[in-house]
Amino acid sequence: MKRFQIRTSLLVALGAALASLTILVWRYGADTEVSSEKIVVATVVGLTIGALYSLSATGLVVVYTTTGTFNFAHGGIGVFSAFVYWEIVENRTGPELPQWLGLLLVVLVVAPALGVAIDVILMRRLRDAPLVVQLMVTVGLMVFLLTLTGQIWQADKIRGVSFFWEGQGFSIGEQKVAWHRFANLVIAAIIAVFLRILLFRTRMGVAMRAVVDNRDLTALNGARPGALSAFAWALGSSLAALAGILVAPEVEFNPTNLNSLMLIVAISAAAFGQIRSLPLTVVGGLLIGLLESYNREWIDLGADFPFAGRAVAPIVLFLVVLALPQARLSVGRVSNNLRPIERTTHVWEGAVGAVFIIFMGWAIARGALHFLVWDPGEWSSVSLNKGISAMVLALIALSLVPLTGWAGQVNFAPLAFAGFGAFLFLRLGLWFGVPDTGGTGNLVWLPVIGLLCAPLGALLAVFAARLSGLYLALLSLAFALITSNVLFPHPQVFPRVHTFPSPYLDVGLFRIDFDSRFSFFMLLMTMFALGMFCLVVLRRSRYGRRWVAMQDSQAAAATVGVNVIWTKIVVYATSSAMAGMAGVLWATSKSTVDFRDFDLLNGLTIVLLMAAAGMSFPVAGLFLSFQFVFEGLAERLEQTGNVGFLVWLLKDFLAKFGPGMLAIGMVVNQRGAIFEMGKGFAPLLPWRDDARAELAAERATKREAEIGGLGLTEPFTSEAVVGLDSALGIVDDVTPGAGYRHGVARPMESTHD
Amino acid sequence: MTTPLLEMRNIRAGYGIIDVLHGVDLVLEPGSVLALLGPNGAGKSTTLAVASGQIQPSGGQLLIAGREVNGAKPDALARAGVCLVPEGRGVFPNLTVAENIRMMTFSGTSYGEVADKAYELFPRLGERRRQLAGTLSGGEQQMLAMARAMATDPALLMLDELSMGLAPIIVEELYSQVAKLAEGGLSILIVEQFAQTVLGVADRAAIMLHGRITRTGPPSEIAEELTAAYLGIDSGGH
Ligand SMILES: Nc1ncnc2c1ncn2[C@@H]1O[C@H](COP(=O)(O)OP(=O)(O)O)[C@@H](O)[C@H]1O
Ligand SMILES: [Mg+2]
Repeated sequence: MKRFQIRTSLLVALGAALASLTILVWRYGADTEVSSEKIVVATVVGLTIGALYSLSATGLVVVYTTTGTFNFAHGGIGVFSAFVYWEIVENRTGPELPQWLGLLLVVLVVAPALGVAIDVILMRRLRDAPLVVQLMVTVGLMVFLLTLTGQIWQADKIRGVSFFWEGQGFSIGEQKVAWHRFANLVIAAIIAVFLRILLFRTRMGVAMRAVVDNRDLTALNGARPGALSAFAWALGSSLAALAGILVAPEVEFNPTNLNSLMLIVAISAAAFGQIRSLPLTVVGGLLIGLLESYNREWIDLGADFPFAGRAVAPIVLFLVVLALPQARLSVGRVSNNLRPIERTTHVWEGAVGAVFIIFMGWAIARGALHFLVWDPGEWSSVSLNKGISAMVLALIALSLVPLTGWAGQVNFAPLAFAGFGAFLFLRLGLWFGVPDTGGTGNLVWLPVIGLLCAPLGALLAVFAARLSGLYLALLSLAFALITSNVLFPHPQVFPRVHTFPSPYLDVGLFRIDFDSRFSFFMLLMTMFALGMFCLVVLRRSRYGRRWVAMQDSQAAAATVGVNVIWTKIVVYATSSAMAGMAGVLWATSKSTVDFRDFDLLNGLTIVLLMAAAGMSFPVAGLFLSFQFVFEGLAERLEQTGNVGFLVWLLKDFLAKFGPGMLAIGMVVNQRGAIFEMGKGFAPLLPWRDDARAELAAERATKREAEIGGLGLTEPFTSEAVVGLDSALGIVDDVTPGAGYRHGVARPMESTHD
Repeated sequence: MTTPLLEMRNIRAGYGIIDVLHGVDLVLEPGSVLALLGPNGAGKSTTLAVASGQIQPSGGQLLIAGREVNGAKPDALARAGVCLVPEGRGVFPNLTVAENIRMMTFSGTSYGEVADKAYELFPRLGERRRQLAGTLSGGEQQMLAMARAMATDPALLMLDELSMGLAPIIVEELYSQVAKLAEGGLSILIVEQFAQTVLGVADRAAIMLHGRITRTGPPSEIAEELTAAYLGIDSGGH
């Protein structure tokens, strides 16, 4: 069978890419002349950086083809390892080590140990988990590792990693080539050949690939699946570390920057090889290296697009995902859906819940709840600001409920939609300047903006139409990166210097002015409650049922007459409209809007917290207040002079590591926190007989299993009872055989008659 | 009396909190063929999963060649010579035929030996050694799965529904190979739902119903009781 099929759509995509490239060059071509010398330089630079991209990407591919896990933490592992390398080689912590020894130490000891730990602690338990859970856990791990690196190596000084053979090189004709660049190419080539031989020519490699195919059968053949997976993780981590250390001298050495190079580019290159072909992955890495280099040299989009260069890899990713042959996309686990069997909430329950939330919001803001508020009567403006930020994020998070929670469409780009909404609001305010609102606009525009954002979602839905699972996630990732690197930084979108002094004070709705923090907070609370209620109604509607059916099985949904494409378009448009409106409120709530607010990592934090809480439950949105609650508490403690461990715990540990750790926690709690809380809470509600019955049934099976474990399912014999008595340490004066009618024995006996 | 090659004493096992086997007693004498028959869902595959170490029994004893092996890992048992050809196609669909054969070398036989034997027994596999196993026909896949049993010289062979979904001619062919293995003195435990072909090769047969062995005896006697068993009438009793 062919590993790679050239498809018409791929050709079309390539054609489109070439065409847009031509336009770019023609329209934005930099003044730099095109000489053969420059071409050689740009090519050499592109290839040598591309070689490192290939290196990183092959690590991703190795882990995917041998464990079935797409590891979003790949870059994080590389970043962490590179900083460890910096610590021991550049910072000279510990004995002085030569570069090569430090490299070997990190690549062959530290990184593999990290990889094995990740496998043993986390991935092993995720073997049969649904794809969404796997994705969230590795994304959570990525965020965790980046936070960890950022916390250990604070951004308080400039760090740098020096090249190997700094300053030395050789010449090809006129051209001087540095040794380290040449080495990149050689190392990447050696590793690619080594991996190819390992995976296809050795028994161990064949067995590693066999594990993904059929884990049980691998064991039945006598190979050790656990050891093979651990080795795959060790190998993948080593490759990430190697690439990280070699890339580090080339770029600004900070975790986020390094991660985007290591991960985003690696993902794009890996996608180019369909996440399975090593040779094509290497080609993909080299290609991206070349494109970036040529782009730097000859294309100048001007100061308005300062970060467009970072979008090269995401654009490649976007095109490649669209062009991939569909047949290949179902690799991995598609059928293992663990959607909780939920009882759909009644409309009246939704209404009661909404009213309750508004009331709670009022009570908190007015200081009625003394345990949450320290200045009863008047909540400090700082706390109210935190409350406002939390509720705005909660509203954005709400947009994920129908899209990901119900329809199963993984979306890493909620902030792309939110940013689009914010942009429209600011622009509409400027263009149609509503006089008495100081240019910010009136909230009456909100539904209009929702309507305007819907087509953007619909557009993404059209692209996503034939994708599912991992590739859908990658598409949304590319989308988020393209918007946040190309679109949002443009000064016509979000002005560099904000022109809206304390805007939310000026927001009005008809005659009501939300001119105090309190009323704005209550507005957000009300919108959240309203949004929740609408979602409850929507879930019970035709569309709600179709979305859930689509998540269970697209094919099955299609066979019962659901128009899958249209259903997808509707859910994307709905989600996009919701996020867009929430984005407006976010922009309004801040005195400055910056394109950095809408970057990928912020969006991922929302997605992670939402996933950990339970995507399919609207109320999970309240979990987004998590970080702000911890920060608020910490600030409060600081105000009262109580600095120290508790503050550190709240602010620097829980608030920062929380999102990543909660997502990692999905390893054990795959259904999310709300589900577990609901299971405990629902039986308390007077009208929930079903929940009580379920709880009773669950307890009964559990008890039976425990009793079964004691060997008590057999009819009682006197020996068994004596054995049990001695095991439990029960002293009884009844002699065996003389009738044992006391203590433990009696109830059990009667049930077995 | 000789030590049985495989013995289960009052084995209980299940999936999570669901109990499937409620005390299975089973004996396979060395060099003999035992057919384990029973309707769908009786627990036959679960029995084999216990015997191969894939599921740990929650009670009872599992003995192989007289040694208690409760808790042994499936890969350790496999290297020790326990060979289970699982239900469905026991092949790796995304590996080539040759790579599948390479996977059979973990129990100690060299690659050359396994490959020669497999291609000799099933020449059709030899012609397709570069093909992905997932693209083979059902019969060819079952041959490839059987090749592990034939070429690695196991001590105990367990076959789960070898005939499922295959044309009668291919079933004949596969069972003639099983008969050859049996003549060579291999101990075999065969699980099937439909009895005709198996009872021809078996020395003894057992019926399993609702997670218990309800009847054991010579194949001829068991054949008569099978119909009753399938109709759900509990013959024998416990
Ligand atoms: N992975 C599993 N999880 C839960 N229950 C299972 C699983 N596999 C089988 N069962 C249940 O165990 C029982 C016996 O199954 P099995 O041993 O496969 O029967 P047989 O092979 O005789 O058809 C059936 O009721 C089946 O539903
Ligand atoms: Mg079965």
